[in-house]
Amino acid sequence: MADKFINDSMLEVYVFETLQNIEQLENAVLESEKTGRYSAAAINEVFRIMHTIKGSSAMMMLDNLAELAHKMEDLFYYIRETQPKQVDYAALSDLVLSGIDFIQAELKKIQNKEPANGDVSDLLAAITAFLEHLKAANGDFKQEQNTLPAQPAAGGGQAAQPAGKLAAYEAVLYYEEGCEMENIRAYGVIHNLQEMVEDLYYRPADILENDETAAYIREHGFTVGVLTARPAEEMRRFFEDVLFLEKLEFRELDAATFTARKSGAATGRAQVKAATAEFGENEEKSGAQKAAAVATAGQGMISVNVAKLDKLMDLVGEMVIAEAMVVQNPDLAGLELENFRQAARQLHKITSEIQDLVMSVRMVPLANTFLKMQRIVRDMSKKLQKEVKLQLIDEDTEVDKNIIEHISDPLMHLIRNAVDHGLETAEERLAAGKDKTGTVVLEARNVGNHVLIMVRDDGRGLDKEKILRRAEKNNILTKPAEEMTEKEIFQLIFLPGFSTSEQITEYSGRGVGMDVVAKNLEKVGGSVSVDSVSGQGTTLTLKLPLTMAIIEGMNLTVGRARYTIPISAIKESVRLENHKLIKDTDGNEMLLVRGECYPIIRLHEFFKIPTEVTNLEDGIFILVDYEDKPFCLFVDDLLGQQEVVVKALPRYIQNKRIRGIGGCTLLGDGSISLILDVSGFVA
Amino acid sequence: MVEYVGFQGYEEEEDTLRGKYLTFLIGSDSYGIELRYVTEIIGIQPVTEVPELPDYIRGVINQRGRIIPIMDVRLRFRKPFREYDDRTCVIIVEMSGITMGLVVDSVADVLSIPDENIVEPPEIQKNYNRYVLGIASAGDDVKLILDCNKILTDDEVEQLSQL
Amino acid sequence: MARVLIVDDAAFMRMAIKNMLLNHGYEVAGEAENGLAAVKKYMECKPDIVTLDITMPEMNGLEALKAIMKIDPKAKVVMVSAMGQENMVKEAILSGAKSFIIKPFKEDHVIKTLQKIL
Repeated sequence: MADKFINDSMLEVYVFETLQNIEQLENAVLESEKTGRYSAAAINEVFRIMHTIKGSSAMMMLDNLAELAHKMEDLFYYIRETQPKQVDYAALSDLVLSGIDFIQAELKKIQNKEPANGDVSDLLAAITAFLEHLKAANGDFKQEQNTLPAQPAAGGGQAAQPAGKLAAYEAVLYYEEGCEMENIRAYGVIHNLQEMVEDLYYRPADILENDETAAYIREHGFTVGVLTARPAEEMRRFFEDVLFLEKLEFRELDAATFTARKSGAATGRAQVKAATAEFGENEEKSGAQKAAAVATAGQGMISVNVAKLDKLMDLVGEMVIAEAMVVQNPDLAGLELENFRQAARQLHKITSEIQDLVMSVRMVPLANTFLKMQRIVRDMSKKLQKEVKLQLIDEDTEVDKNIIEHISDPLMHLIRNAVDHGLETAEERLAAGKDKTGTVVLEARNVGNHVLIMVRDDGRGLDKEKILRRAEKNNILTKPAEEMTEKEIFQLIFLPGFSTSEQITEYSGRGVGMDVVAKNLEKVGGSVSVDSVSGQGTTLTLKLPLTMAIIEGMNLTVGRARYTIPISAIKESVRLENHKLIKDTDGNEMLLVRGECYPIIRLHEFFKIPTEVTNLEDGIFILVDYEDKPFCLFVDDLLGQQEVVVKALPRYIQNKRIRGIGGCTLLGDGSISLILDVSGFVA
Repeated sequence: MVEYVGFQGYEEEEDTLRGKYLTFLIGSDSYGIELRYVTEIIGIQPVTEVPELPDYIRGVINQRGRIIPIMDVRLRFRKPFREYDDRTCVIIVEMSGITMGLVVDSVADVLSIPDENIVEPPEIQKNYNRYVLGIASAGDDVKLILDCNKILTDDEVEQLSQL
Repeated sequence: MARVLIVDDAAFMRMAIKNMLLNHGYEVAGEAENGLAAVKKYMECKPDIVTLDITMPEMNGLEALKAIMKIDPKAKVVMVSAMGQENMVKEAILSGAKSFIIKPFKEDHVIKTLQKIL
């Protein structure tokens, strides 16, 4: 990338914008595929997007991408212009989608700082073949460029004052190499000459009608003869000033030669035409409605680098901590500071507003992630020969950007599973009295602090017996099969070691199972559960926190260590006093609160932390109701409730996958508190 | 959502750091690690313990808002624990995406050691030499050049062998 | 120095042109991402010169050109085109565009073209 104007931020914008473009493209293709045909608007949109990608890629000197986009543009130009009757739209979609995949792969390389040098020749050949086939079936389109209407001769009109003596000159213009469209540049010269001359001719004569003349001019120059009252010097200067002129030949002619050559060139200023509406017709009738919406919305929008947002988020987090450090500073203890308190309250109000705002900036709708699934369903239904309809519900539900990033893969996996294993074949469905088209519903729902994402299919449902058999075979049963509830049996599919190679197909397999889905979701503080009715379908529910960045937490101590537990996980906290302690025959301790039995987990034992508070009467119990599995944590003491900024644990520690710890946060005094992950205590 | 992760200019830096080693002491033994992995050297900070980690991972520290795990190199080498004092240092290293603070008795020096002065460690003393990449002679002193990568990642093996 | 209005639906292209202009001391009077916005921006910021992309949503470059020429017959507009858009460029010239540049363009081509027209 030789040009100095191409810098990193250019590259960034290029990648970003092109990714956006192909996303839009993919949606256009998938939408069209649903209706079985491409609307004029869709064709136009594909054309326009390819045109944009072509231009940008060429600027970035990514020749393979520019070439691919160019070929696609050609193809859709043909379709737009001729509106062919016989088009294999399925094949067309395949072609565009593989083009999208190629571009996507190349962009990925660029992002990874690898050379984007993928071989595009197969794709180009496929597009060419498709276009040839189209032309053979529908006929080539007529070159519309010969239909330029001629403007009536301007007569004496504006040049009615041949005051001075007329002289004739001839100029031959040679353009710089690589300036392109020489014929149109020549045309521009003629256009500008009009006012200066009484009469003129030029060779080649058909510069407007015939773009081949560009090559001719490149080789032989563009010859203009003029009859004018203006002095020779002025004319010479006019020609010398022509843009991208490499060489000029300029000489005076006598009147007879001028006339002779003019008739030879068989053209004159009469050929110089005004604009006609006809040209405009074939340029796009302003893109699709969506593009328009984007454009209008775009007026007040800017794109922001996510890294900057993350940094901002971090800084706001630090600010919140700093605020606490000032306001709760031990030096202030016991002082009566009315003015200070007032100012501090004001500060607090502003910091929390900033915090809310930053959070809201990070919220993005799930729609894009959901829309991506359309492609997966499409590809799979083709490959597996199953008819599948994907239905999206409430895809505009918003979640934190970070979370979006983490759910794309799990979601993809679940969708694949639903289509591959969940849905039956058309014959099986018909035999079962169902519609032969299977339905997969992808639904988002906002429930307070959480977002639920449901993947629901109307397929065969989970087979309890099969699950049990496999669990038994793989030795992952934790209790006798006959003691397990239906829900517990279903939940087995999320255990590591449940999936086996037996199950692997091209789509759902790849050696990863549902346990990976569960693990990925845990990373963002989410969980997954499953429900199924035999013969009617399966629903997988992902439960995600709205944001991972800031939570309301309760700080607590065990020995010298401090921990934070998300308020959302706490049902209530109680002391032993009024409640009953029960021990089962194995010596397991349980707390009875209002008739409900909570197994006790002593945090100091669970984490092996030395503490003096080992007597259940001295500490405090935190009742937790995690997914219908209530339990209580026994800790030394509660320190108080606080909004905390969640930080990820360092990678080294994350890799250790410590049960019961989900992240960490900084407290007001700069010390670190570990954030408890209640799901880790029941697993 | 512009998402474009660039690399910082490590490539250029690496050349000037090649062959340079940060040396430190554990007891009377002198060790070296490649300087290009070192990002910072700080004094010992208050440590927050993290449960269920091997004893040589002392916990995490807050280094200007960054949470960094720290590893006691003494314990890593199965040497007796020694109370931290004001000579105790934390060498923050970064490699293959993992950041770690290494607690050492004291930091000595930065040395240039040409490759030819470094020899492979003998095969004996398997357990101990696992983390030693080479033995360097610098002047009349001998330094054990450590394999940073192994120190940071080699614990799965060890955990298994402890079971 | 001359004030330029940059019109292109691709942010990347706008940035490319902007960087080139800034390298040569031009001032960017404004940016627009479709024809309609371009016409509005033209009236607002009265630039010395406009670089106008042809293929855009909402209102394409040709329509925008015509609208701008109607508002200000002296407007100096340079079309930004691509290979294969010869017809559009011709129409633009007929409609009053002063010149054109062709993607992928080089910095010196762009600057030369603008200098010539100003």
